[in-house]
Amino acid sequence: MKNSWIIAMRELRERIGSRSFVVMALVGPLLVLSLTYLLFAMGENKQQSWKVLISDPRGIMENKIMPGVDKSINYSFASDYIEIADFASGKNYQDFDALVEVNEKIITNKVSFVFYREKPSLNMTINIRYQIERRLEEILAAKFTKLSANDFRKIKQPLQMSFKNAYDPTEQSSDLAGWVGLFFGTVIFVFIFLFGMTILRSVSREKSNRIVEILVATVHPRALMLGKIVGVGLSAFIQFFVWAVIISVGLYFMRETVFVNGYDPANLAQSTTSVAYNEFVELIFERIQFSSMVGYFLLFFAVGYLFYGAFFAALGAVTGSESDGQQFLLPLIALLLFALYSGYYVLNNPETQLAQVYHYLPFTAPVVVMVKLAVGYPEGEGYQLFISLLILLVSAFAVLSLAGKLYKNGILQFGHSVRLKQIFQWLKKN
Amino acid sequence: MLEIQQITKRYQRKAALDDVSLSLRTGEIFGLLGPNGAGKTTLIRVINRIIEPDQGTVRFKGDLLKQKHLIHIGYLPEERGLYKNMTVEAHAFFFGALRGMTKTDIKQALDYWLNRFEIQSWRKKRIDELSKGMAQKVQFICAVLHEPELLILDEPFSGFDPVNVELIKQELVEMKAKGKTILISTHNMRSVEEICDRVALIHQSKKIMEGRVSELQESARVGEYAVKFRGTMIGFVNALWTGFELIDKEILGDDRFIARVKMRGDNQFEDLLKVLIGAVKIEAAWEVLPSMQELFINAVSVKEDIGK
Repeated sequence: MKNSWIIAMRELRERIGSRSFVVMALVGPLLVLSLTYLLFAMGENKQQSWKVLISDPRGIMENKIMPGVDKSINYSFASDYIEIADFASGKNYQDFDALVEVNEKIITNKVSFVFYREKPSLNMTINIRYQIERRLEEILAAKFTKLSANDFRKIKQPLQMSFKNAYDPTEQSSDLAGWVGLFFGTVIFVFIFLFGMTILRSVSREKSNRIVEILVATVHPRALMLGKIVGVGLSAFIQFFVWAVIISVGLYFMRETVFVNGYDPANLAQSTTSVAYNEFVELIFERIQFSSMVGYFLLFFAVGYLFYGAFFAALGAVTGSESDGQQFLLPLIALLLFALYSGYYVLNNPETQLAQVYHYLPFTAPVVVMVKLAVGYPEGEGYQLFISLLILLVSAFAVLSLAGKLYKNGILQFGHSVRLKQIFQWLKKN
Repeated sequence: MLEIQQITKRYQRKAALDDVSLSLRTGEIFGLLGPNGAGKTTLIRVINRIIEPDQGTVRFKGDLLKQKHLIHIGYLPEERGLYKNMTVEAHAFFFGALRGMTKTDIKQALDYWLNRFEIQSWRKKRIDELSKGMAQKVQFICAVLHEPELLILDEPFSGFDPVNVELIKQELVEMKAKGKTILISTHNMRSVEEICDRVALIHQSKKIMEGRVSELQESARVGEYAVKFRGTMIGFVNALWTGFELIDKEILGDDRFIARVKMRGDNQFEDLLKVLIGAVKIEAAWEVLPSMQELFINAVSVKEDIGK
């Protein structure tokens, strides 16, 4: 283990000292920040004027709404329970753009549905949510506590308001949050590919300059392989850390200057008129739980990297030359692309059985879990994440063990063409 | 020190080593000889545990050779390699650490060797700034830095100029004097004669000869003598008559020669001297033993003839 660490530290020093590492550490996050800025700047920001009907059969809202600064929404109240189909096609309701359902359960479960005819703009969504939630807070504070509405707001549970298409309430359009998950998953795979290639090149180079013969005369080939994977992996973590710091500082800077907090009441008036606040801004600054996302990202990145890193190391060891390795690299790249596709698939078809398979399959788990994590696991199903992690971890150790066999047998084979038959023979050996 | 017992190693259907046994004693320089492809490098890799034999065992100081013993072994492979973008010093610290040395020990040992080879200025140089020969020297230092009890050198003199070959030889002799055991695989037969105590010859994956250099040469003697004399070559040849055969001659000057003569029949060295005295003025005479080069070529060609 000590020798693996020595190998890892040498590898880490070499990586960090390379020019490409420094360039990637600076250019990568700046590129991500630029793209984020572009998304923010180009985000849709249409102004709408809506008539909203609030169905409140129990009279919870007392036909009142929080007086808002936004005059673009006109609220009406109905004391009946309104079927969605009636709202969608009934003549009486055609003047209304949206129906807000407020039933008696809202007091306990804080869940409300909004059925729209046309998808609301972000400002519209924010305002409807803001005004109904504020009114609800007043009611709850008065009914159940002796607190003022302002004090109550400090300890309240947020209202879960789901916006659904009145014509197709079951529609599951891909959520923007899911795209962020896919972005995280893609970052995992981009890092795995880039640093996996670094492992491959490093092993090939040690083979071609024959230094590997001295190394394996002192270090067990498995320890050598592990040291190499860990060393390159640590450099990937450092790279990621630099990315995280630069991107965080950049996002904070944007938040404080260009895209100010639209949820803050102090800024609400400004945000409703600002052209800068849109759904991307809301997504990045409000809806993504970065702390947990980054934590799980690191976990799945680490284990996913071990899983795929072992493939790259074994590939480097069994191939006779770098050009020979390229033909075996193609299936591995195809596998990585397939993993990215699986993330896209789950984003659009989250409830299918195949999505479940992709969630647990070690090849695809890192990206799929990121997507599901960003969208949010349904209540009580969060344990699935840990099962997926466990499967990935066990698979990573299994692959490391098999890759160790290939590494041991292939590392001193020079200038030959690899045959699958030989690879299977090496796998059978101890 | 090292007992190699009945090692067999096959690649596919071809035997790389066939029932090879060797024994290295503490404090000797052992030469491992053989033509290209004979199995020397395979045997060295088995000793270094780089590859596992199909059969046979290797014992290090009486114990079965294990991974833990490798830090007592230094290895300089035939195909040299270092990290091109790492400095000489970084290499020393890397390989020293892998062999269990502390940073202080590595620094001291590196200082010693850099001074010894008078290359202190190379310390901070990257390998890609050094010539091939210079890099070879660095690799030699990396192999001996941890003062191994057993040093295995595969073609240690290749790539070195004559001055550095002598330097390396001198170092090996000094290490031997300190009680280190050295195994050298080489084609440089002159070096073998000069520094090896014992040798083994491997050919076509089998060991075909083993013994002390002097004993092997003695056992292959063919009654050939050299005579250094002053006089004429005609006078020398006339004195020989039919009991001796002139094999070769070397002209040292107008009237000075070295002649190589082989005995015929029951004639002895004394008989040769008797016939020459009076005919030429003898300055020196000695028995010519076969060189390791000749022994090597003879052994290999005889084996190949038998094979045919």
